[in-house]
Amino acid sequence: MKEWQTFLRRFSDIQEGKRELFIKDLTAGKAKYATKHVIGTVAKSKTGLEDPDTLWLRGESGERAREPWYISIEQTLEEDWVPGKPYEDVLEAVGKSEKERGLR
Amino acid sequence: MAFNSHRDFFEVLEKEGELARVKKEVDWDGEAGAIGRKTYESQGPAILFEKVKDYPEGYRISNGTTGTWSRVALSMEMAKKTSVREIYKEYEKRVDIKIPPKILKKSDAPCKENIMLGDEVDLHQFPMPLIHEGDGGRYVGTWDVVINKDPETNWQNWGMYRFMAHTKNWLTGWPQTTSQFAFIMNKSYLPYNKPMPVAIVLGADPLSHIIATAGIKPYENEAENVGGLRGQAVELVQCETSDLMVPAHAEIVIEGEVMPDQIAPDGPFGEYPGYRSGTMCAGVAVKVKAVTYRSKPIVTMIALGTPPDDSSIAASLTAAVAMKKGLIRHGVPVTDVYVPPEGVTHLIVIGVTKGGTETTRKVLDYFTLRRIMTNKHIVVDADVDVFNMAEVLHCFATRCHPGRGILYEWYEGRSNSLTPFYNPEERRKLKGCSVAFDSTWPPEWEKEIVPIKSSFKTIFGKEMVDKVNNNWDSYGIKL
Repeated sequence: MKEWQTFLRRFSDIQEGKRELFIKDLTAGKAKYATKHVIGTVAKSKTGLEDPDTLWLRGESGERAREPWYISIEQTLEEDWVPGKPYEDVLEAVGKSEKERGLR
Repeated sequence: MAFNSHRDFFEVLEKEGELARVKKEVDWDGEAGAIGRKTYESQGPAILFEKVKDYPEGYRISNGTTGTWSRVALSMEMAKKTSVREIYKEYEKRVDIKIPPKILKKSDAPCKENIMLGDEVDLHQFPMPLIHEGDGGRYVGTWDVVINKDPETNWQNWGMYRFMAHTKNWLTGWPQTTSQFAFIMNKSYLPYNKPMPVAIVLGADPLSHIIATAGIKPYENEAENVGGLRGQAVELVQCETSDLMVPAHAEIVIEGEVMPDQIAPDGPFGEYPGYRSGTMCAGVAVKVKAVTYRSKPIVTMIALGTPPDDSSIAASLTAAVAMKKGLIRHGVPVTDVYVPPEGVTHLIVIGVTKGGTETTRKVLDYFTLRRIMTNKHIVVDADVDVFNMAEVLHCFATRCHPGRGILYEWYEGRSNSLTPFYNPEERRKLKGCSVAFDSTWPPEWEKEIVPIKSSFKTIFGKEMVDKVNNNWDSYGIKL
């Protein structure tokens, strides 16, 4: 089981279900913290998830949530980015992209 | 002889007892940052981490090269014990001297010893530190020089902005929206949906980094100011993938393009005000096209945080001198300006020859005219040594009238969103408030009613002061 982390403004911003996310790989080594842009199913419990990995949540000040969530990665997106202009809110852009993909 | 490189400067730091070489293996993942932070907080030496976990021999991380006034003095080739006032004075004298840079052939530039181009680019081959636990990523750009160019005028702007590794060939960063970097991007690239070339330089000569923190006016090339400050032209070389010119002796140069229509997460990061606050996911994304680097490269780190560190010390110097000049242009009768490092450019002390509400209003006007990085301004009379915070605090406590002496102003769209006390909405809208504390005697008071400061130098006549000073040894009191 791999470990990942993702950043949110508030811990309450994340909802269970199929999501588009930027996640950081916590595997030790030179590439630790490299980001992947993925679509996956996230949940508070690993029960019912296929091949789940641990997903740690951090808030906008870097505070880590006490309990991890879990993620089953279904697709790694080729683009390391989302469409948007410099200084636009990336999390809002991800939300928009999720809507366009029919995830919300 | 000016320092050409980061490495040249280490030799002097070592000779002066200002460098610790850490030979024990240190983890880039938090440990180097924690050691750097602890060292700053004890005003300890600059550090060169010589063995970094996961990386080959020779791949190193430095921290704190100019993180104390002594090391700033050494970087300016002054004596280690030079006072802050003297460092300010010397910087003020040199910074307006412009010496054009010297352009080197690529084959003569040490930063071209190794080149990764295109698909070969892999930022993970460099020991980029995860500086603080909980940061949004590995910040490779902290003590950096970030260069972008105005294509219409050829102005090459140097600044210091944060950049983190997003993937092996993408960076994300957060030059403030009110920065000159953003000014160029908004003017000349975004309206045409054009990628903007950028170079992120690590480990140049120490004064190039100090100048990158300075508020040099738009359309002035900082490279010329570095030359003036060094007393010798800075040597530059052209990038591999753009016409940007970068310090030729740099340790590592990351070349890329800021994408006009693609974004990715940056931050959060433990920033220069001494907090990790909620500035994240609202920056720029850079596709990295090349990395050029010296053999045995050094990644320059500043384990930013509560002062002092390189940022708060350098900004104290460069911001204060720029502010002094600006205030004089604005018609304020300034004696000196001091930016105490402890105030992380949020708190500024301004000495004036004539105080009062009118002068204090002018001071506040100056500081709120354009982009606003400061928010508290203490205006003091000329008898107060602005560099002596004990005197400043005494003056503020005793001369600032809480009802009449506090002037403030709200604004929107140009505040500093890193200011920790702003709420999320204020940060998003760049809404802020600045205050000036008039800690001067009202100029309209008759001389007879101005309280006399009860200090040795001010409440006794010259005759008594001279007598006591001349006889001091005979009293048998050791001070």
